[in-house]
Amino acid sequence: MEASGVVPISLKSSGRSRRRQRTNYVAQGASVFAAFLAIGVLALVVISVLVRGLKAINLDLFTKNQVTFGETGGGIANGLVGTAIIVAIATAIALPVGIFAAIYVAEFAGSRASRVVRLALDVLNGVPSIVVGIFAYALLVVGSGYAAWKASVALAIVMLPLVARSTIEVLRLVSDSLRYGSYALGISKWRTVLFVVMPSAIGSIMTGATLAVARAAGETAPLLFTTSIFLPNQVVTDPSHAMAAVPLLILFDSESPDPSLNNQAWAAAFVLMFFVLVLSLSARYVLARRERKLRAR
Amino acid sequence: MDAPIAKPPLDRLASRRGLRDRLGDSSLRWISALAAVGVITVIALIIYEVIDQARPSIRTFGISFVWHRTWNAVTDQYGALDFLVATLYVTGLAVLLAAPVAIAIGLYLSELAPGGVRGVVGSLVEMLAAIPSVVLGLWGILVLGPVVHNEFGPWLNDVLGWTPFFATRPISGSTMFTAVLVLAIMIVPITAAISRDLFLQVPPDIKEGAIGLGLTRWEMVRGVMLPYTRGGLISAVLLGAGRALGEAIAVTQVIGTTAHLTANLFETGDTLASRIAAQYQAAASNLQVASLFYLGVILLAISLIVNFAALLIVRRYDIAQRV
Amino acid sequence: MTLSVTKRTVSMLAAAALLAVCVAASATASQSKHTGGQLVGAGSTFVQPLVSQWQAAYPAVNGTNIVYQPIGSGGGIQAITNRTVDFGASDAPLTPDQVTNCKGCIQIPWALGGTSVMVNLKTNAHAPLHITGPVLAKIYLGQITSWDDPAIKALNPGISLPSEKITPVYRSDGSGTSYNFTDYLSAVSAAFKSKVGLSTQPPFPVGVGGKGSSGVAGVVKNTAGAIGYADIAYAVTNHIQVMAVRNAAGKYTTPGTKSITAASAAFKNVGTTGEVHIVNPPKSAPTAYPISTYTYVILPQTTGNAYPLKTFIFWALTKGQQYGVKLRYVPIPKPVLVLSEKLLKTVHS
Repeated sequence: MEASGVVPISLKSSGRSRRRQRTNYVAQGASVFAAFLAIGVLALVVISVLVRGLKAINLDLFTKNQVTFGETGGGIANGLVGTAIIVAIATAIALPVGIFAAIYVAEFAGSRASRVVRLALDVLNGVPSIVVGIFAYALLVVGSGYAAWKASVALAIVMLPLVARSTIEVLRLVSDSLRYGSYALGISKWRTVLFVVMPSAIGSIMTGATLAVARAAGETAPLLFTTSIFLPNQVVTDPSHAMAAVPLLILFDSESPDPSLNNQAWAAAFVLMFFVLVLSLSARYVLARRERKLRAR
Repeated sequence: MDAPIAKPPLDRLASRRGLRDRLGDSSLRWISALAAVGVITVIALIIYEVIDQARPSIRTFGISFVWHRTWNAVTDQYGALDFLVATLYVTGLAVLLAAPVAIAIGLYLSELAPGGVRGVVGSLVEMLAAIPSVVLGLWGILVLGPVVHNEFGPWLNDVLGWTPFFATRPISGSTMFTAVLVLAIMIVPITAAISRDLFLQVPPDIKEGAIGLGLTRWEMVRGVMLPYTRGGLISAVLLGAGRALGEAIAVTQVIGTTAHLTANLFETGDTLASRIAAQYQAAASNLQVASLFYLGVILLAISLIVNFAALLIVRRYDIAQRV
Repeated sequence: MTLSVTKRTVSMLAAAALLAVCVAASATASQSKHTGGQLVGAGSTFVQPLVSQWQAAYPAVNGTNIVYQPIGSGGGIQAITNRTVDFGASDAPLTPDQVTNCKGCIQIPWALGGTSVMVNLKTNAHAPLHITGPVLAKIYLGQITSWDDPAIKALNPGISLPSEKITPVYRSDGSGTSYNFTDYLSAVSAAFKSKVGLSTQPPFPVGVGGKGSSGVAGVVKNTAGAIGYADIAYAVTNHIQVMAVRNAAGKYTTPGTKSITAASAAFKNVGTTGEVHIVNPPKSAPTAYPISTYTYVILPQTTGNAYPLKTFIFWALTKGQQYGVKLRYVPIPKPVLVLSEKLLKTVHS
């Protein structure tokens, strides 16, 4: 320490330190301001959709189908049923494939095979949904027509990487000591995976899947080329026929010159958003809890 | 798993258990391998099919398709330049607009917000990331469009009309500007959620050390947190950009679907994805269908490049699962 | 333990999903009783208002459901070519290329209507504003950009036109209405013919695209100063002003039963291919509306669905025509009806 010849330390902030403090406050203020501004704008968007939707919502929306040209009223009953069925089938396809692919990566594959599959999943995740749409059209629709199950296949492709990637992540979080403990008890690998590893991971896997469902329910582009030619005035439940779907109805009604159809679009948007938000929010909540607990283990 | 240390002997041990276990082991292995092969097949098939369907156009126009401007169904001449440029332009501006704001939100949520606010605002941001794009498009066409046409347009044109970006007043609510705003709103929550997670990953001891050295909060953020998370932030922004690039529905609803090669944001425009969405079902000739697939090939290539760039960087951080 | 919490969540989610599907299924079980098969069609948005009347009426006739999606005429041609539908609908006749691609398709005129010129403009006029083909062409070429342009003023003496920008609106998808509109503009303006031409996807140099007729009508309705084109039914049902277009005889007409009938009557020779053009009728038809068009149903000549398809199309050509009157479609005249029925007979299984 060279105390001699040094200016005695003053507890009062000097000019330089004051400047630093000022910069600090300004920068923090700017950051908070930007954050609030952006959150405000985003909240405005959500609120404006919700308010318009809420105003337009009525019982007919859930019980009636689209009206004939020029009439007003009607609802989106066939779209709700269609979306439910299309997404259910898509989930039934994407879930097993995604989970098993993840099991392969996490439990069986060597490092190279694992890298290849994960690369494929990353690539798949980067494919724009419109490309998935035209792909499904070229492969499935040309020559045989529109059908709900084809939309499900397209949506399943969108969901697959989401399910598989979140599952891989969850399986990695399952502690190895659990596996080794199981092996040490002389339990075979398949039993270990299915009855030891999976049960402790299934909750998180399902919440990951729920997020994928939420995403799929709102996807429009894959439906446009696979199930957009549907009966407007009837509920269809046969997946070999085309079905109406909520996102498609929103898309069609959004450009309509008829204010009553615009209102129907708002109401449908409200329903869709409500469903998606509740689903994804609860899933994220459960997921966060699960991950914290898995990590703690 | 990543830790294969003790596995081989264990596997051998396990396989000694009767036939049922041997069968069980191999069937689970094969079923899961089959699923994995399925994933690889799907992506390979997508890439193959899109290129295959584009082949007539690739054969006719070759690589020059990318820098030709004409898109004319009357003469059956097609080129991608207008859409390619508009895609990059609109996405780029949306990212430029969204990134700083999203990072600010991330910073606010991880550092500055009081505990109670964190949870509420945090879940609000998560919620926003889940809004279907068609709903944003609906909002864009019915709410934002008229505002752009009647308020923003004239005002920005008056103030900034001397720049090439706002050179004219918009003739309707369907403009590239509207698309930029819609895309920015779409990617802010995605990017913000990732950047918050990134900031939360900065080890507290580094941060405390910085504060202990007498740095102010901002100096700590600038000197420690931003450098520490830089790669992750870049990839968060890239992932947002990837989503914006491929967004077809919301863009096709608000952009006016007319191609122009102009910097003027109050002109209509058309992106690769939006053009495919608008014309795919209605293509007039085989060559046009193929050309739309060619646009799909270009879109796929750009999206994959952007996503890969993001992934290459992201791999070093533990946030790969967010988007 | 934690497990039970998540298990409960999972089972709740699963139960909710199951419930949703059950409710959906039971809701439909009651509704989808009369499923006597269905016919799937897609295409023209021009004819959609009429087809939607048929959709409502036809199941009562013989229990067949008609599925129809207005994806644009280009889409209709594409759809029938790819055989993704049972029938396509287009206001534009098939091009030679499309005939080849479609492998044995025939086009049958099945409705007749007028393309209205819609505007969104506040003036002191009590009658439709006047416009001519050449002026319309200049608007869509970007040469006339303001409503108080002398060329428009000259057509509308005594009317105060605002100095508002003109926003031309057109179809962003492949459209038979675009075909009809550019067919007319090409007939009256050489400049338009050389610069844009006749197409279902005309490359207009200016304007804003809207998806489908309803998309165009939507943009026009919500944009002050906009001008657009769509079947007259869209203007009528959405209360959008239309313009009166000057015909070859120098008279200003709007699309209506009389003016569209007059246009179709001016063309005596209907040919044999089904393709019939009736834009810009000659001077001899002073009451004719110049942007009228037949619209076609496109069928594969060989189809597994021949019987129900022929039954439906025959019904649409005959009894079905009356449903269009209130929407200002005109029953197709005798000579064309004869031709249509003859063409329909060539469809077989």
